[in-house]
Amino acid sequence: MDSFGYLMQGFAVALTPYNLLWCFIGVFLGTVIGVLPGLGPAATIAMLLPLTFQMNPTSAVIMLAGIYYGSKYGGSTTSILLNVPGESASVVTCFDGYQMARQGRAGAALGIAAIASFVAGTVGVVGLMLVAPPLARFALSFSSPEYFALMALGLAMVVLLAGRSMIKALLSMLVGLWIAGMGTDLFSDASRFTFGHAELLDGVDFVIVAIGVFALGEVFGNLEKREGAQILPVPKGLRNLMPTWQDLKDCRFAFLNGSLVGFVIGVLPGAGSTIASFISYGIEKALSKHPEKFGTGVPEGVAAPEGANNAETGGAMVPLLTLGIPGSGTTAILLAAFILWGLRPGPLMIQDNPTLFWGLVASMYVGNVMLLILNLPLVPLFAQILRLPAYALFPFIFGISIVGVYSVSGSLFDTWMLTLFGLLGYAMRKLDYPAAPLILGLVLGDSMERALRQSLMMSQGDLSILVARPLSATMLFLAVLILLSPLVRKANALRVRALEEGS
Amino acid sequence: MKFRSSHVLILAAVAALGAGPAAAQFKPTKPVEFITHTGPGGGGDVIARAIAQIIDKNNLSPVRYQVANKTGGGGLTAMSYVVNEKKGDDHAIAVFTGNWTTNPLVRKEAKVTIKDMTPIVRLVLEPALIVVKADSKYKTLKEVVDAAKANPGQVKQSGGSLTSRDNVVRQLLMKNSGANWAFISFPGGGERIAALLGGHVDMMIIEPQEAGEHIKAGNMRVIAQVNDSRLPAFANVPTLKEAGFDVPNVPQVRGIVAPPGISPAVVSYYEDVFAKMVKTPEWQKYLADNYFQDGFMKSAELAKFFDEFIGTMRNILKDTGAKVVR
Amino acid sequence: MNLLRSGEVMSGAVLAALGIYVILEARQWEYLGADGPGPGFFPLWYGIALVVLSAALIVMHLRDAAPAPAAPAERGGQGRALAAWMGLVACVALLKPLGFLIAFGLFSLFLVRVLYRQPLGRALAVAVGGTLGFYLLFDVALNVSLPRGILGF
Repeated sequence: MDSFGYLMQGFAVALTPYNLLWCFIGVFLGTVIGVLPGLGPAATIAMLLPLTFQMNPTSAVIMLAGIYYGSKYGGSTTSILLNVPGESASVVTCFDGYQMARQGRAGAALGIAAIASFVAGTVGVVGLMLVAPPLARFALSFSSPEYFALMALGLAMVVLLAGRSMIKALLSMLVGLWIAGMGTDLFSDASRFTFGHAELLDGVDFVIVAIGVFALGEVFGNLEKREGAQILPVPKGLRNLMPTWQDLKDCRFAFLNGSLVGFVIGVLPGAGSTIASFISYGIEKALSKHPEKFGTGVPEGVAAPEGANNAETGGAMVPLLTLGIPGSGTTAILLAAFILWGLRPGPLMIQDNPTLFWGLVASMYVGNVMLLILNLPLVPLFAQILRLPAYALFPFIFGISIVGVYSVSGSLFDTWMLTLFGLLGYAMRKLDYPAAPLILGLVLGDSMERALRQSLMMSQGDLSILVARPLSATMLFLAVLILLSPLVRKANALRVRALEEGS
Repeated sequence: MKFRSSHVLILAAVAALGAGPAAAQFKPTKPVEFITHTGPGGGGDVIARAIAQIIDKNNLSPVRYQVANKTGGGGLTAMSYVVNEKKGDDHAIAVFTGNWTTNPLVRKEAKVTIKDMTPIVRLVLEPALIVVKADSKYKTLKEVVDAAKANPGQVKQSGGSLTSRDNVVRQLLMKNSGANWAFISFPGGGERIAALLGGHVDMMIIEPQEAGEHIKAGNMRVIAQVNDSRLPAFANVPTLKEAGFDVPNVPQVRGIVAPPGISPAVVSYYEDVFAKMVKTPEWQKYLADNYFQDGFMKSAELAKFFDEFIGTMRNILKDTGAKVVR
Repeated sequence: MNLLRSGEVMSGAVLAALGIYVILEARQWEYLGADGPGPGFFPLWYGIALVVLSAALIVMHLRDAAPAPAAPAERGGQGRALAAWMGLVACVALLKPLGFLIAFGLFSLFLVRVLYRQPLGRALAVAVGGTLGFYLLFDVALNVSLPRGILGF
């Protein structure tokens, strides 16, 4: 039977009332989890696993998958409204999303996020359905040199996130790299920068840094002002409560960009939704007609990363379902769930369990539709949160930050780290150091160092391995191009000025 | 008054009567905290959940076993939690893996060791398989080692950290044969497998249940097993000794420990629960599905095992060049 | 002296110091091992980059003929923000003995009453309402454990 036939069968499975119910429960839970910072889909799926033993595996995986991609929808909510990343991948959404909210366009931002997520989620499922096996083989050809090149490309994006001072952006990124290096070195078991604390052996959790630097930094900045009035204008009128047609038109490319970048990066085990959203944002900005507006609140700046982190879920399912290799932390738990249910994901899984695979794929379509229907009407509701005066909102943000951080590992040490990063975030604001490069350095630093060392181990010290293969060579070349682009622009500006003065 | 032997006998009898029923009478009254050092989906977590499920299904416990993930420090966070925060708690037990015995040997940040805990039972021994990509030019382990001898450092193995079992076995084989090949660490099992299947490394040492599906699909070929005797499912695959490498077996061990400061009655109680559990058909199926070997041992034996195992691993680790701190 | 008050100089100095610290630590670890770069490789390089760039920052700032006028800072403003931060630190410190609910309640009270100068009634309403809300949402509905103090909640 061809794919289409299987898909129809899959819909037959997914659209039964029983499975529809579980799909709804999953996506609803996922959205809630996504909204709350710190609590992630991985932990939630783990908590719910015992309950799934009573269910049949197809319904169970429909629900758990719903939690996974549902959480990506929810993550953007607090990012946009409060500058609190609900999920690590939602950090990039904060850049423009929060700025849109500050301009009174919170509703539009939330709407764009939801729509981008829907488009990307759907593209992800289509990709999963159509190109899973060949894409999985492509993913296998990706090795450490390619990962290094990918990370280098990601880091080159710092140039695009720089703002006024390139030096400060670079310094910020270096601090991020330093924080990323904290912990046990994988290759030599040396403990780096742990200051003697066993809690730092695994490094600092990204969530703590992101919440501290972004959310708390913002709150402390706002606390300087005396008035307890509303911090953000509540969007008035439909124009600001929902994205306009113009917004949607502007985002056409961003939807596509986010979907593709997210999906492809999701397929690669070891590269996650955070890097996908950064690269997608970078590409969007680099190819935009008005790059200087990014960071001030442009809808594309929300659409691209939000799309990317949603499409990534579809992508991450590819290696899981076609090869039995988990592509991310959450898919690792799904893998464990499969095993606990007695299934064995692997190259033969699609053949041996067509009902499960196609039922899951079909349910992902359905789930994305459900999420769009769930989230769009909720947008005006969420926007009302902004009605709260500052003195009510800020305690809430502090509280949710503490709870979010604590829920990651149940350790009070982490809450102390949160206070430190909050202070750092405030200092960075006052001294005009951009926070985005720090996050970029933090996310990529570790992986990049690992990939470089692995590559050199494979080639026994021969650096040429990094450019020996077409993929890595191309990405490195692009990275260099991007890094040099500000110099090129400056050179051009100087040339133009010289011409003008000369004539 | 003078103590006469009859007095002593009476006192002893009274003591026995008094202590006897009370000693046998521990029963948990609230959910048991079942601690594991891995995150959800990790090795310890999966086995803990499987155990909890089996105990629940067979009504072996009046209360629930609630899995608690205490991740961090390669197990150190969970170990510290068990010894410090759960001291004397009758309603807390933990799944230990080989890591709990070896990690403190090389980490000076470790403040507790497994000897600080109360051993309950050992449950399984996990063998390993040495695999290559299915279309690899290497058909036997000897061929791999010979290639490594001819080209030092060019043959590549993907694996975990330096103190992981993969590297320990590698070090033992290298020392035994005089060959030398590269070890490339990847943080996750998925990445290690991807590196092998993508042809970027030549071999890896992998747990059988992780490899099962890939072998069945014909993507991986098993060239040796790290085991004392052949697994029934891999009856055609030679063990290390049979393949010509006389090295000690390095099993992955898993079992149950409890916090310090609990009474012998509590230890007995948990020993009994697990003794009953390993007899259930579900457990037998779990062992078979995961290619585990039954390594059931009760508390006293387990304590001795820990001493031996730690001693052996300390020597092996020293040989590999790792910095042993205790 | 104006120099010390300048943000660029201060932060540049701090970052340079961090860079030096990183370099010193990196020297303890292997730079280039048998198999490839060791744990000291990366840190050494970004430590150097930190020092070089922060020096450049300071130099460029000193060279600038007219430094950009600092935004008119509400002098009280920084103090308020830092007071809030200290409140947060106190809250975290109290998490262990008093548990989240009480610590958070007190912190909210502090924020609303002291920092925002709202009337006591309103402050209490926010503190109690917020704490209750967190309890219901997290402890009850989501079964996420909040830090507990000696009082058991």
